[in-house]
Amino acid sequence: MRNVAVIGVGVTKFGRHERTCAELFAEAAIDALTDAEIGPERIQGLYVGNVVGEAGEKQLHMGPQLASALGIPAVPATRFETACASSHAAFRHALFEIASGAADVLLVGGTERVLTMPTERSTEVFAYASDAVFEQPAGLTFPGVFALIACAHMAKYGTTEEQMAHVAVKNHRHGTLNPKAQFQKTITLEQVLASAKVADPLKLYDCCPFSDGAAAVLIASEEVARRTRKPVWVLGSAQAGDAMCLHDKRDLSRALATERAAQTAYRQAGLGPRDVDVVELHDCFTIAEIVATEGLGLVEPGGGGLAAEKGETSLGGRIPVNTSGGLKAKGHPIGATGAAQIAEIATQLRGEAGPRQVEGAKVGLTHTLGGNTATVLVSVFGGERR
Amino acid sequence: MSAPAAVSGAPPTLKEFFDGVRAGRLVVQRCRGCGEPAVPPRALCSACHGREWERAAIRGEGEVASFTVIRVPPGRLVAEAPYAIVVVRFPEGVSLLGRTTGIPLEALRVGLPVRFAGPADPAAELPVVTFAPRV
Repeated sequence: MRNVAVIGVGVTKFGRHERTCAELFAEAAIDALTDAEIGPERIQGLYVGNVVGEAGEKQLHMGPQLASALGIPAVPATRFETACASSHAAFRHALFEIASGAADVLLVGGTERVLTMPTERSTEVFAYASDAVFEQPAGLTFPGVFALIACAHMAKYGTTEEQMAHVAVKNHRHGTLNPKAQFQKTITLEQVLASAKVADPLKLYDCCPFSDGAAAVLIASEEVARRTRKPVWVLGSAQAGDAMCLHDKRDLSRALATERAAQTAYRQAGLGPRDVDVVELHDCFTIAEIVATEGLGLVEPGGGGLAAEKGETSLGGRIPVNTSGGLKAKGHPIGATGAAQIAEIATQLRGEAGPRQVEGAKVGLTHTLGGNTATVLVSVFGGERR
Repeated sequence: MSAPAAVSGAPPTLKEFFDGVRAGRLVVQRCRGCGEPAVPPRALCSACHGREWERAAIRGEGEVASFTVIRVPPGRLVAEAPYAIVVVRFPEGVSLLGRTTGIPLEALRVGLPVRFAGPADPAAELPVVTFAPRV
């Protein structure tokens, strides 16, 4: 398998947009081309994540729509859907096309428009990513999914609502350092704890927002990448699964798919959790960040809440997590999230993250979770080749 | 065990499972090879990959493994909120997610003994199982 690198990245501002998914994606893609300093004629294919195109814009078959709007209608263009992990799955599949020698330059990304729908409708549509036989009829929502995980984690490890609130406060603080983030304000522990209950024990400020936005990443073979200004190398990329229904998962306090994907990605990279300098992980809810830090081996099992409380995962801490503001503050246009995380890690490893730069970051990791934790992707990146 | 006799090694269909729920029975499936239980639908045993199944009625008495109270519901359920969702673990080795009946929201806790209390709406195509306190 050939080496593959990220050679350019682009992310729109996350939040509310009047433009369509295709218009947003074109903005991100042009920024990625400009960043990579290559021309659009080099793009041999488009791999894109999108989740609610049907509900948000009445659009299936979004791949060619995005390629057409960008102005490259002849390239093969395919949409991927693994719930919130969609564009990370698109990235991993694109990786294989280059690693196999079938292509040299591919455009990967994601785009989503959700704020076209009222909250009650988007809550219903997002729940389509949970099980349609047992979970949706019962009235389980996505906050509800992670509330059940939080309840099990609290019962097993003594994790507290205050510890979860620390995750929200930290990610909002990071978000103020990222001009693309949806929220540009710090919040206090008291504000999180006093916010309206959504699904006990989760409150409004434990939840990421609904967001519109797009992200794009250009990836290339070593031959092409080594002639670009600052390639970031893909050292490992893995996807793992777990039972679809919450009631079939062995232990609700753990994310087994995260543990499985992380093991494979670390093995591919020849690295372990202690080698990682900066992490973008899937904090759709504060408890999700706590469980993910444990599953990725950044902290010991059950230690995620305390690590958040002690600031170990803050900028300047032992292992900075979600320097972009994470899904919580940067926003979560679900189909775009995986690609936006990769863009942040590439920016960090190039040393171009400005006020949120992790000094000397050499190895970075992205973690994206889909649906009821039934899909997880983990990728490891380095400033140097394997 | 009062399980209906299995006609073959084929797994039960979801329709069979939900017909049971409507009749007040919880009948899951158990691998003939290794004994691993599963909530339908399941074609291959996740433990041994066997495909020969038998029906297994469970008593329907278990404990709350996790719970939440949904306060921001999907649009179609606005009138029912707030409502509880529980994951109940049974001693037979399976768990089921469902709603509660007769349990005050503030009385919910991990470890609470509960029993299967039939479908929330027997007319529903996919009836939601409910759980009541065990006394």
